[in-house]
Amino acid sequence: MVDGKKTVLEIEDLSVHYGYISALDHVSLHVEQGEIITLIGSNGAGKTTTLMAVSGLAAKTNGTIRFKGQDITKTAPDKIVKMGLCHVPEGRKIFPALSVYENLIAGSLGNPALKKERIQELIEEQFNLFPRLKERIGQAGGSLSGGEQQMLAISRGLMMDPDIVMLDEPSLGLAPIIVEDIFELIMKIRDMGKTILLIEQNASMALSIADRGYVLENGRIIMEGKGKELLVNPKVKAAYLGA
Amino acid sequence: MEYFLNQLVNGLCQGAIYALMAIGYSVIVGVVGMVTFTYGEIMMIGAFSAYYIFQAFGNNLPLAILAAFTGSFVIGIIVYKLCYEKFFNAPRHISLLCTIGISMLIKNLAQIVFGPETKPVLDIIENRTFTIMLGSVRLDIKLLQIVVILLVIVLAGTLTLFFNKTKWGIALRAVSQNKDAAYLMGINVKRTALIGNCIGSGLGGVAGILLSIYYYSVSATMGGAYSMKAFAASVLGGLVDIRFSALGGLCIGIIENLGIAVSAATFRDVFAFGFLILVLLIRPQGFVSKKGVRV
Ligand SMILES: Nc1ncnc2c1ncn2[C@@H]1O[C@H](COP(=O)(O)OP(=O)(O)OP(=O)(O)O)[C@@H](O)[C@H]1O
Ligand SMILES: [Mg+2]
Repeated sequence: MVDGKKTVLEIEDLSVHYGYISALDHVSLHVEQGEIITLIGSNGAGKTTTLMAVSGLAAKTNGTIRFKGQDITKTAPDKIVKMGLCHVPEGRKIFPALSVYENLIAGSLGNPALKKERIQELIEEQFNLFPRLKERIGQAGGSLSGGEQQMLAISRGLMMDPDIVMLDEPSLGLAPIIVEDIFELIMKIRDMGKTILLIEQNASMALSIADRGYVLENGRIIMEGKGKELLVNPKVKAAYLGA
Repeated sequence: MEYFLNQLVNGLCQGAIYALMAIGYSVIVGVVGMVTFTYGEIMMIGAFSAYYIFQAFGNNLPLAILAAFTGSFVIGIIVYKLCYEKFFNAPRHISLLCTIGISMLIKNLAQIVFGPETKPVLDIIENRTFTIMLGSVRLDIKLLQIVVILLVIVLAGTLTLFFNKTKWGIALRAVSQNKDAAYLMGINVKRTALIGNCIGSGLGGVAGILLSIYYYSVSATMGGAYSMKAFAASVLGGLVDIRFSALGGLCIGIIENLGIAVSAATFRDVFAFGFLILVLLIRPQGFVSKKGVRV
């Protein structure tokens, strides 16, 4: 508990192996309600694996994961999502042959409590966030540009009206101008009352909007601290900020 | 000329059944993510389910179609449990071999249970022929053909609505396009794949009984050739695209019937598969246009 806030996500001693290869080695981290938390690290550090383990798509060899106080270590992925956890995966993974509209409807499947009117409301919300999606509403998801696909992937996730949003490299491959939009958007989502766990290659951007950050190296957390502190930390600067 | 036009009508009708068969096949391949070789046997079980309804209740076509769908649906559950469920993360050839094994098992069991002989399926639909005169050209259309074509159109239409307008349909399509992403949408992927597999099987069963009605017979070994044709039609349609697979089925039906018009009925399969090979040589992706869709 920090500042009397509720812990939304708690990862304790998490280990993941792919065959004999260890990808995560006793990783612990926690995310409080309303926070933006970022997880940074170089390629292959285990960032994606961490999110996959949380949403139940990667098999865990050790550790416990609690979401809103409930143990979800052994819970099936679809059930975890339905508890209010949204995972926008690396590489967008939108449904290429579903239209933009159908992709959004697919997102709403993640929250069975949503009524028809609420789904329409949420779709309007997405179109306010991304007016461009509205123009493309009937177009196949796979025909969108990379940036548009990323917007759609985030919108699709928000269609669940989740408690926490886990974003895996939302700015990957996007033009610098759009990257700024994405980061502004992430703050907007937080202001909508959601908690955010953000993975980023763009460490300086991520740390500058994050409340706290974790640094992952070879499957281990080697540093943790306030976003602004990590941003000026000489070791972080040297290894991840290219300065 | 007259003969060709009449063969075209025959081809359309047979093509409609092939289209239904191909739709079922591509639904299965889509949701399961692996090709199957039990489809012919699934069709055969559907045909026999309907056959026994005819035996017991007379020519009740709606009931027979329901029975065909249900019989094949149930076999779909068994095939899913035995061939797919445990093997989603295993190398693909394992479940593929499994479907071949199960197909032989079902065929042989069927020969024991239903008997090895070909059974007649007669007079299900009144033997009436409508004659249309196009100028001096005489076109004969059988009532049977009209019923079959209408049935396929109604089924395909219902299925299209189901896939495009319902949450279940969108979930099924999501699962065929990306299983991991589907999990992240809170979709119970395994259950959805099971249901998709069974719906596809059910459609195969209906196609099975329609073929039996069309050829006036049903037998335990009828599945083999149809299994290959369903596969061919789906390949023409890019394997998982339902609309294009249906088109593939329709084309095969027409080509076959026009082909035997210039040769003999025994060459039916030569034309079907010759056409497949020809199309694939020119367009390896089948009819599907990848234009406009980046993957
Ligand atoms: N399916 C897999 N099979 C085997 N090894 C894997 C698999 N997925 C990931 N790994 C390995 O696990 C380690 C961590 O991978 P992970 O994808 O979590 O890294 P990451 O931090 O997300 O990297 P990036 O920034 O490149 O996305 C890597 O060494 C990777 O090679
Ligand atoms: Mg990654």
